[in-house]
Amino acid sequence: MKVVHYVNQFFAGVGGEEKATVGPEVREAPTGPGRKLASLLGDEHQIVATVFCGDDYAASNDAAPAEILELIKATGAEMLVSGPAFTSGRYGIACGRVAAAAHKAGLVALAAMHAENPGVAEAAPAPVVATGLTAREMGATLEKVALAVKKLASGQTLTPEDGLVGSIPRRNRLAESNAAARAVDLALTRLAGDRSATEIPMPDFGAVAPAGPVTDPSKALIALLTEGGLVPAGNPGRLESARATKWLRYPLEELPGLEEGSHVSVHGGFSTVVANENPNRILPLDVARELKDEGAIGSLYAEYFVTTGNGTSVADGARYGVEWAAELRKQGVQAAILTST
Amino acid sequence: MAEQNGLRRLIHTVRSAGFGESPGLNRGDLVASEDALQALLANPALASTRLTWARPGESVRIVKILDSIEPRTKGAGGAGMFPGFLGPALPQGTGETHVLRGVAVVVAGKLPRAQEGMVQMSGPAAELSFLGATNNLVIEFEPAEDAGWPQVDEALRLGAMRVAVALADLALEAEPDEVHDLAPLNPGTGGSLPRVGAIVNLQTQGAFKDVFVYGRTMAASMPTAIDPNELDDGAVVSGQYGHPGLKNPTFVHQNNPVVAALRDRDGKDLVFGGLILSPEPVDQTLKELTSAHAARMARQMGLDAVIVTKEGGGNADSDISLKIDAFEAMGLVGIGIFAEMSGPDGTGPPVVGPPTTATAMVSTGNYDERITLDAVDRALGGEIVDLNGLDAAAEMVLPVAAIYGSLSPIGLGRLTCATEVTA
Repeated sequence: MKVVHYVNQFFAGVGGEEKATVGPEVREAPTGPGRKLASLLGDEHQIVATVFCGDDYAASNDAAPAEILELIKATGAEMLVSGPAFTSGRYGIACGRVAAAAHKAGLVALAAMHAENPGVAEAAPAPVVATGLTAREMGATLEKVALAVKKLASGQTLTPEDGLVGSIPRRNRLAESNAAARAVDLALTRLAGDRSATEIPMPDFGAVAPAGPVTDPSKALIALLTEGGLVPAGNPGRLESARATKWLRYPLEELPGLEEGSHVSVHGGFSTVVANENPNRILPLDVARELKDEGAIGSLYAEYFVTTGNGTSVADGARYGVEWAAELRKQGVQAAILTST
Repeated sequence: MAEQNGLRRLIHTVRSAGFGESPGLNRGDLVASEDALQALLANPALASTRLTWARPGESVRIVKILDSIEPRTKGAGGAGMFPGFLGPALPQGTGETHVLRGVAVVVAGKLPRAQEGMVQMSGPAAELSFLGATNNLVIEFEPAEDAGWPQVDEALRLGAMRVAVALADLALEAEPDEVHDLAPLNPGTGGSLPRVGAIVNLQTQGAFKDVFVYGRTMAASMPTAIDPNELDDGAVVSGQYGHPGLKNPTFVHQNNPVVAALRDRDGKDLVFGGLILSPEPVDQTLKELTSAHAARMARQMGLDAVIVTKEGGGNADSDISLKIDAFEAMGLVGIGIFAEMSGPDGTGPPVVGPPTTATAMVSTGNYDERITLDAVDRALGGEIVDLNGLDAAAEMVLPVAAIYGSLSPIGLGRLTCATEVTA
């Protein structure tokens, strides 16, 4: 099978963080980890091209997956392998989105990254094989990827034994009896000693290590972010009141603070009366300006990011987090205040 | 007569319902006087009201549904039904209660903080709501210009109760189809059978997101024990209009499904050991206090296992987790009834705030999964669906959470969720 390999700018040898904004390009040969992967695949499958893209471009630009897909299709390959992205969030999201796009376009697609990478959720319905934490585990990871490529190419599906990760979809259906009757059954099953019985497997969210403190806040560029659904009056970006499918960015300009009527909260999970009387209580621009005037913080980033945190799935929440972090890094922001409602 | 201190439930099964000149219930055919019911809704806070029947199988969608009530009465005018609202807040749950099975009084329209919830009366989506199988008398309304929203809310609540009681009064002289004699809970019986009880969490987030017990909000209360027969007589009334898929309307409290399941098996493979009502505070410290207190009450009742139900999402999830954790920490069994939120494609983690030690939960389905509602001939409750700006009768794709009572976190529905097994 003809295989195309997707990597980021770093593994393509183009450069590090300073090159994270480069757009997608093609190399007509295996590149970086693709060379080792090609040798593991042997004669049966050939890596005919490598497509690469900068992490920021790929993860924070809605059009990027489609652009990358065009380059992939132009190579004439029948299969796409993306990654391994290990625990890199932007690279993982790009690998997941590219794999999902290729799958939808009818290619056999596979992504490789750490099981807790938020990109895992982006790849569905394309499969993801788990990798180690960092590129130090490249060798063993590529061996696992090569085996998965061979298995998929032969028309088989991957299993957890092959390193398959990501939730297998859960689907609604009607049960024989109502939930209350099933709850009584479950209580009696547990009382009889079966401690593992449950209809819902409990998830493990892991933990996010907080970043270290800002060394000198008086020189730092600080951003204001909120999940409080605060948008300019009229809600021009049509942010949802619940189950938000997007996040938005709006200018703060040189406003001393927010005014009643200029911004409103569209959040559907709490009473917005007080918030709308003084929008600064959702997005603390007034206090942030004072802190800047006092010299306590260096400067304020000129925009704020907003979504609605109400019934939002963890997968969407994790994705917004990675996208915000990528964007803030790109803008040189050192710290952010994220208000929660 | 019913057993002393017990309740006799007289079930009248309604097969067809409509308006007519000769009100009454005759062999399952319910005929009501539209004018008489309209008169019960008259209130200075309401400029006008409209009554319309929406029946199973009809090409009708009801949008913006607020509360729904099962018609019940204890005698002409209610005679104690809905204590604290239609009568004094005196203990109920004894004597006789007439139930119109197969009928619901449904209030539909716009109130602040209400989230769009709807029911389709035909097609596959009808199965997702308990109102898809009942003959629904829909009350639509126009608020009076000078009325405040709390007055409008109260007028609708009282009016809907009066209409529900008046419909049930039509059955007072009719022969019941079933008679249930319900003894009060008797904790002394049952021998060595396991003792299982229920904790019913009630949402308590202020106006339009509140639930009433004997006419009063439960917001500032500690958990309290109640006899299940009191629920039959309307001791718990909903004024909670958020989270359409995750709400427990008055109809559902009148027919508490966990109580029904425990009653069914009482004396067979378990003893129904107790029923506790608990608020869902919004403050974390109060959540912890309330949860610990409810768990201790359950232990004092001698329960071996407790089933915890909730109302709402997010915030309410932690009330479930805290309570079943508190119960498990005592070496007892805690079971949660829970709706999953695993994203439209079902691949996200199902529970956002999982319990730390208790792990047994029954699923009422994935909140985020999309369903398609076919276009219908007519819509009641409003002209536009606020969620998407579409004509209320149009074909639309929605999260299942928008269907009224679809993910019933008190366990009324059959919807569940499971890992997809592919070939």
